[in-house]
Amino acid sequence: MTGVDGGRATGDDDRATEDGGRADRLTRLREGVESHALTALALLTSAALVVAFYYPTATVLVEAVVVDGAVTLRVFADVLTDPFYFGELARLLSGESPAAVARSLLSPDRRLGIVGFTAYQAALSTVASVALGLPAAYLLARFEFPGRRTLRSLTIVPFVLPSIMVAVGFVATFGENGTLNAALTALGLPPVDLLFTLEAVVIAHAFYNAPLVARVTTAAWESVDASAVETARSLGAGPVRAFVDVVAPQVYPAVLTGAALTFVFTFGTFPIVLALGGFELATVEVFVYRLVRDLSYAEAAALAIVELVISLSVLLAYLRYEARSSTNTRGARPLPRRSLIPPAPTLRELLPRAGLAAYVAVAGVIFVAPIASMILASVTGGDGALTLDHYRFLIERQQTGAAFQVRPWPAIRNSLAFAAAATLLALPMGVVVAVLTTRRYRGRTLVDAAAMAPLAVSGIIVGLGLLRGLVFGVEVAGWRIAANGAVAIVVAHAVSGYPFVVRTVSPGLSGLDRSLVESARALGASRARVIRDVELPLVWPAVVAGAAFAFAISIGEFTSTVVLATGADAYTMPVAIERFIGRRLGPATAMGVVLLVVTGLSFVVIERLGGDHRGL
Amino acid sequence: MTTDKSETRRRRARPRTRRRFLTAAGAAGAAALAGCSAERVDDGGDGGTGAGSDGGNGTDGDGDGETPTLTVATYTNFIDAPSVSPGEWLKTEFESRYNAELEWATPENEVNYYVERAASGVGVDADLYVGLTTEDLVRVDEELDEDLFAEAGDIEGRDAVKEGLRFDPFDRAVPFDTGYISLVYDGTTMEAPETFEGLLDDEHAGALIAQNPGGSATGRAFLLHTINRFGDGGVASDGDGEAVEGGDGDLEYDYLDYWADLQANGVRVLGDWDEAYAAWSEGEAPMVVSYSTDQVFADMEGQDLEKHQIRFLNDQAYANPEGMAVFADADEPDLARQFMSFMLEPDVQGEIAQRNVAFPAIDGAELPSDYAELAKEPADPVTFTYDELQGAVDAWVEAWERQFAGN
Repeated sequence: MTGVDGGRATGDDDRATEDGGRADRLTRLREGVESHALTALALLTSAALVVAFYYPTATVLVEAVVVDGAVTLRVFADVLTDPFYFGELARLLSGESPAAVARSLLSPDRRLGIVGFTAYQAALSTVASVALGLPAAYLLARFEFPGRRTLRSLTIVPFVLPSIMVAVGFVATFGENGTLNAALTALGLPPVDLLFTLEAVVIAHAFYNAPLVARVTTAAWESVDASAVETARSLGAGPVRAFVDVVAPQVYPAVLTGAALTFVFTFGTFPIVLALGGFELATVEVFVYRLVRDLSYAEAAALAIVELVISLSVLLAYLRYEARSSTNTRGARPLPRRSLIPPAPTLRELLPRAGLAAYVAVAGVIFVAPIASMILASVTGGDGALTLDHYRFLIERQQTGAAFQVRPWPAIRNSLAFAAAATLLALPMGVVVAVLTTRRYRGRTLVDAAAMAPLAVSGIIVGLGLLRGLVFGVEVAGWRIAANGAVAIVVAHAVSGYPFVVRTVSPGLSGLDRSLVESARALGASRARVIRDVELPLVWPAVVAGAAFAFAISIGEFTSTVVLATGADAYTMPVAIERFIGRRLGPATAMGVVLLVVTGLSFVVIERLGGDHRGL
Repeated sequence: MTTDKSETRRRRARPRTRRRFLTAAGAAGAAALAGCSAERVDDGGDGGTGAGSDGGNGTDGDGDGETPTLTVATYTNFIDAPSVSPGEWLKTEFESRYNAELEWATPENEVNYYVERAASGVGVDADLYVGLTTEDLVRVDEELDEDLFAEAGDIEGRDAVKEGLRFDPFDRAVPFDTGYISLVYDGTTMEAPETFEGLLDDEHAGALIAQNPGGSATGRAFLLHTINRFGDGGVASDGDGEAVEGGDGDLEYDYLDYWADLQANGVRVLGDWDEAYAAWSEGEAPMVVSYSTDQVFADMEGQDLEKHQIRFLNDQAYANPEGMAVFADADEPDLARQFMSFMLEPDVQGEIAQRNVAFPAIDGAELPSDYAELAKEPADPVTFTYDELQGAVDAWVEAWERQFAGN
């Protein structure tokens, strides 16, 4: 409300100027802009989506149904009835009796098919990510300790690491001769054989996605209003009851957000599965990649559509839930954080802290050890001794690399510039879509699906689509309109990042008390101004979290960057890492550490700029 | 539930930041819209800046002035690798010997990028491609009705190319180097078997790391080698019952049988060569499918050569000759052919071999006398011809995938 008042005050100042007519025109102009700002932003968002996502992607997906110029469903039918992809389900789709299929499904040697297996490992990875993400959210949202804010900022760091870095870290940590086995042996325990198993893949997926679950859940938990809990307690509810009735309903939509996003990501997983699991555990995306590489576009597109349908179904199922379960809030005075040192040695104070201590030990092995191994690899030479050679390589490449080679500094600079610009673009896009999708109207599901699609389409297909749709361009009336280079990269990154802004901001917005908006409107504020001055401030932690994710997505992006880059001058840090991979991984890991440090610092800066939710 | 006092105070202090930030976001959006290019379709020109085409200091094409520009497309490792790559030397040397400027283009999708360009009708914006394999040619020819590449024609020095390396039956691609895919093993912990069958021994259970034939060149070469050895069992026969016969002479036992046995013995098939090599370097397994030039790098980095032993199974290795070809609609076809002659000169051949860590395509390349000590060549290189791969390689890979993954 204060924001609205502030705006009025400025308006009065304007009117006080001598040239009343000019001021009037200005005011009217501003009011005009404000009243159409929402529509304009929505149009811009749609335009960006069409140009940098829908049209490009469609040029590829259409190949599933148009083969040699004729429309056909044959490719689809072949994929759907192929037991290799759909396991026992394919038999059902090809017309066998459901009873027979059900019998084989219950038998121990049932076939899941590649699609079934992909969903299965994604489900396992989701469970693992939630299990590892929730305690972190609890720790970050409910306890006070030195470095808490920095730690919260750094949680997203794993999210941006290229798969080869994670593979290196994991082999060094969980491999036969890895740190974990060395520790186990030192403790007199038998070594574990973790690598090239489903477990290793699931843990790696949790490494990437538990931070996501933790970050969105922390943002929601920090928004829980303390007075609601106090009211419940004063009405006689015990701490458990107050948690179940008041805190949980506000936190667990966020947990589900994290879970749904994790499922979608791990469903489309690609390089890490082969690096840590091996080809026995190949997922759908592995085949999309191979088919595109072999130019078998029809089958690749059909598989990508299958992926898209499954991922979107999961997202939409979750969105239906989110729409139903929204709770009414009017902003929050956050719950006071507790100290990590128990105030009294009672069981109730000690138990959660002991649990957290156990969790920190596990997190140390799963998150910190692989990153530490990466850092160690960057300072280890071929002979096993410590060295700074790999960093010297980076400096040398910077100084003597040819113009057409990738050099570290431009890569750092580009990464930061693209990520900052993409975040600034993704935020208004995400907020507008969040506002539009929290209203209730017919066809909202369609808008939801359209808005979330960038999360659900295979990255390989998007890359190929960008090549066709943007780099090659479209022919309009004798002109070929094309886009590439920095601007196209920023738009493409914003399109991949904005769904995160939507997903973090939307639950909070839909939970806001409508009367706040209505009274502001009644006082004469435009819709855009209500969003800016009333609604966004109330869900600010979510906006900051969304910004951090949009930034992270841009920093970690690889496929569309290399497709749209016009030369070595538009390459980013992940591209530099890929370029520096050689027979020895030192130079690449050194660049990986640079990426780690640069993004870590950026996250801290973003969250500082965003302000701490707790205010003063 | 109203906002409490401290919250209000904080908000009063902040709206400016948010407002400024929303304005900035709007500006970024406007700039994004301004970032397109438009050009007349019939302009010919050089079709805009292609992905990965690196102009250096912006001297891009159009100038019909004195110095013509030759755009050479290739894969990224050819011009940019952490250890050595021939790109920079070749550019400097070519520009000093000829009145021309050389510009590298390294699109991410490599040859497929030009297939896409041709299929989309946007014109190929490069003069020649360096780094074609037999499989690339097969794929390109299957996909496009028109010719992507022109016949090599009259190229000085082409007669010197070794007979066994000439892989293009239509004389477009001219080989400029070759490499061999073999096993690399840690001789301090094991002695690698000498035959394919030896890999199935119990003592080598879980000892080999290979790569996905669908996504990695080394992985595919190793798969092709097993097909060459054991036959394809008629997998790609199109129902005419014709099968590729293996060198083992056993018609009942084909490459899929061999891979079933290999899988039972714990072979690891990872994604890319770099993931596989990294896992091998960490000691996850003592053997890895890699290049027969491994010791050249090991020596460069002062590593223990005993840990980098090469094994040619059955004294064989799969050969991957690399070729170069002029694009059919090159702007500078004559200059492109001059470049191809340049690439075949004995001193350049020696430099390419050393900087690309491969083997020269001609006899009499100028190489240090000790090069052969570290870069190993098999007694009996094997490879499939263009005709053998055509219409077969996709089916081979797919049959393997279906057996190996089979969830």
